[in-house]
Amino acid sequence: MIWEVFRQDKPGAYHKHCGNVHAPDRELALQFAAVQHGRRMKTHSLWVVPHDEIGEIDADETSFGGTTDKTYRWATSYTDIEPAAPEVAESEAEQADVEKSLEADS
Amino acid sequence: MDLETVKERAGPRQFAPKDDMPEEYRKAATRMIQFHANSEVMGGYLEKPFIRQAPSIDRKLAFSAKVQDEIGHAQLLYRAAESLGIKTRDEMLDELARGDGKFLNCFHYPMESWHEVPMIAFFVDGAAMHRQATLKNTSWTPYAHAMDKVCFEEGFHVKHGESILSELMNGSKATQEKTQAAFETWWPRIIQFFGPTNDKSVHNDFAQEVGLKTKSNDELRDTFLDTYVPKAEKYGLVVPEYPRIEYDEELDTYHVNEDDLNWDEFWTIAKNASDGSHEQINSRAKAQEAVEWVRESMHGWEGASGAETPQAAD
Amino acid sequence: MPDALNPEDLDAEQRAALEELLFRLADDEYVHGERLIEWQIYAPTLESDLALANVAQDEFGHARLWYDLLEELSHTEAELIWERPADEFRHATLVELPFAEGDWADVVLRSYLYDAAERLRLDALVDTSYAPLADRVGKVLSEERYHLENAQSWLDRLAEGDSRDRVQDALDRLFPHALSLFVEPDHEDAIVDNGFRTMSTADLRIEWLETVIPYLESLGLDVPEPDEVERPSARGRDGTHTDHWDELAAEFRRTYEELEAPEPARIGGERV
Repeated sequence: MIWEVFRQDKPGAYHKHCGNVHAPDRELALQFAAVQHGRRMKTHSLWVVPHDEIGEIDADETSFGGTTDKTYRWATSYTDIEPAAPEVAESEAEQADVEKSLEADS
Repeated sequence: MDLETVKERAGPRQFAPKDDMPEEYRKAATRMIQFHANSEVMGGYLEKPFIRQAPSIDRKLAFSAKVQDEIGHAQLLYRAAESLGIKTRDEMLDELARGDGKFLNCFHYPMESWHEVPMIAFFVDGAAMHRQATLKNTSWTPYAHAMDKVCFEEGFHVKHGESILSELMNGSKATQEKTQAAFETWWPRIIQFFGPTNDKSVHNDFAQEVGLKTKSNDELRDTFLDTYVPKAEKYGLVVPEYPRIEYDEELDTYHVNEDDLNWDEFWTIAKNASDGSHEQINSRAKAQEAVEWVRESMHGWEGASGAETPQAAD
Repeated sequence: MPDALNPEDLDAEQRAALEELLFRLADDEYVHGERLIEWQIYAPTLESDLALANVAQDEFGHARLWYDLLEELSHTEAELIWERPADEFRHATLVELPFAEGDWADVVLRSYLYDAAERLRLDALVDTSYAPLADRVGKVLSEERYHLENAQSWLDRLAEGDSRDRVQDALDRLFPHALSLFVEPDHEDAIVDNGFRTMSTADLRIEWLETVIPYLESLGLDVPEPDEVERPSARGRDGTHTDHWDELAAEFRRTYEELEAPEPARIGGERV
């Protein structure tokens, strides 16, 4: 059976998909993954998940975030309002980055 | 892991579900995150009527998006709390419905008019965001990850709230006066958002020692005031004389005289024992009870078709 | 096919026909959204709450898009939403009915009946002769797809087991109101002759019945006979509404009136 493998490079980071292994059960899947996906890259933790349990929906099937105008839910749209605090400015900057990547795709 | 080791290792994103955390840590973290998650639900409850009552279609859309975000935050936070292994999400939601789940003081008061909206949507959200930004460095990794997403979204909430405040304070004289009146009513509650002073707070020390919190109530309250007092004044709001807020020139920070605040009311609310607590907890609980049949049906569907749905390709 | 038309090309009759079509589109979406938001915080689970809130937001967004087209025909937001007399709203009665507490079967079935009709109506607008409308239909259609799929996923599941009776009750109650979606507009001939809509209302009704009846019956539900079922006296489309509508309209205008008719705030720049 096939197991999908997720790697976390350091404590507190996100586990990101990095590949898969063939293995008959979870214990062996973890041992195989530790070598196949942990031996060269910086690794703090790995997860393994049965491949068959993964579902998928993609942009052909649904329009993530919708297709009509939703500028009202972006901090960047409130142009007459200066961010009240540093944490608001930081959030706005993060949103601006995402907006840019969305625009680049459309 | 014993408690001493936890305290030694405590730092941003240091602990994860795989770690063998002592029960004291897991209970304290559950209490804190569950409180936060409950607050998202009850804050959403309070703002929901204003989706309908918003006075422009853009405001209506923004409000709907915001309440939706709050429920999304609750989803993230209950999961972060669940990952501590003390309580399931269902148990936490049941506790909220029974009146045993605790949540932010500000969400125990009714909110009845649009003039009150920025008191929550700007000041309370601004206060929440001020605290949440520091929680990106909490020691419980799933909580920190939830904060990454929450803080990403909240910038829109605070700016939207400020935009409403700006509109009201540029409105007719009557509108400005009603907004000022709402501000006077809400201001002490907003200050109490940060809880009692450090020496009166029950859980503060432990939460800081194990890295769940990185800033004390007092630090957060003072830095919040530094930013939001000038903001209120910018829009022409007059900060009420009481509670007395003093500017400390040496430290360049505002400080509140806490004896001027009504702590009896605060502690009554903390026990879910105010009129607003009863009203708001119970009407949400009643609506949730009415869809118990749907949740039961959903439990029945679990696993029925999971293996048959189309599978992800490589 | 008639040439593409823009606002400045319209004569009085064309304009009246187009406005009737747009008011129906906009009012249906607006009022449907207004009812759906009642479920925010109250949906059965946090995930279903988010999903339904998304649909409601989409519907408000679509309403705004259609109202914007009316603004291009020199109406204002204040006239369109905040000050228009309640008996000039042209939505179908289906979307104005309140929900009984906990009646998730109602929201699922109502959404299905409505979204199936909306899908057909939008399909009939893809090749509209009115250029500003043609520009917008595609975007709306792509969001509507999720609405319909989500409603059907719920229906497929709720129509089995103990919850089936609840779905049947909702169907018996809502079906006569859903038929009001297909009351023929006053300007039907002008709408079709000018190519604003490429299918007649009568044909849309037939196609809708041929879509929803076999599907609902395949779930083991009894669908009322469309030509025999007793219809409500209010028709929606002609401005007659159930008593619930006045109450709802008063609620959503409460702040607008309390603030003494402020200029409706806009967020962000140009809408696309």
